[in-house]
Amino acid sequence: MTRHLVDVFETMVSMQASLQPMADIPLFESRVTGSVGFAGANVTGAVYLHMSAPFATTFAAAMLGLKPAEISDDNEVNDVIGEAANMVTGGLKSWLCDAGTDCAMSTPAIIRGKSFSIEPAPEVEREWLVFECDKNFIVVEIHIKLN
Amino acid sequence: MATKVLSVDDSRTIRLIVGRAFKPYDCEMVEACNGEEGLAAAAREKPDLIILDVTMPIMDGVTMLTRLKEDEALKAIPVIMLTAESGRENVLHIAKLGVRDYLVKPFKEDQLIEKVGRVISLQKKAAVPA
Repeated sequence: MTRHLVDVFETMVSMQASLQPMADIPLFESRVTGSVGFAGANVTGAVYLHMSAPFATTFAAAMLGLKPAEISDDNEVNDVIGEAANMVTGGLKSWLCDAGTDCAMSTPAIIRGKSFSIEPAPEVEREWLVFECDKNFIVVEIHIKLN
Repeated sequence: MATKVLSVDDSRTIRLIVGRAFKPYDCEMVEACNGEEGLAAAAREKPDLIILDVTMPIMDGVTMLTRLKEDEALKAIPVIMLTAESGRENVLHIAKLGVRDYLVKPFKEDQLIEKVGRVISLQKKAAVPA
């Protein structure tokens, strides 16, 4: 999962992301979150990719080959962050699939806002991975339930 | 005559990246944002190649590919699939459907062109005289 997120950043936008030691989950003043669900006979869950709104714009601009100031529409950022969440979730799905736990992925959804949290459903395990990229934090939140 | 490439992906970002990859080549790009639109575009435009995403709303890439291969008029069009999933089962499943090749996201534009170059002949755009 760690390798996959690093690959997404390195391959798609030539940015270096590094996993941070377990620390407090960074708080973003305004946040863009891309989420992709997955479900199969033996597993259900979702992956949430969180980053600050300004960094999401920088990331989207890099992916689209633009300057951040040229991004005028939140939909452009949403599409890029959704696609990045899709790629990160694809890495997890591949790992689950190779471990004999096949599942299907949803199309991405985007959440934007300030001061919100995503609570897991009962019996769902939650994992956090915190990455740093160019002095910005990226948080991958994984909710997973193995049946 | 320009090579016609149909890019089917629900993400505008990916369609843009695919289009950018083909920019140096004499290609006409056609876009569709789901399998249903993709099938209609394939029938209308008769592309030389289809770059097809797997996970899409309305009709996914696997269903579109299956329908394409059932259609006598369209089944010969080569398809390269783009997938976020590199799992063994997924790759085998895609291969059985009759794709010419597949590319796992994230990908670089030159990786896409390399795969395409193995399936169809790409011509660089002629330099415009100064």
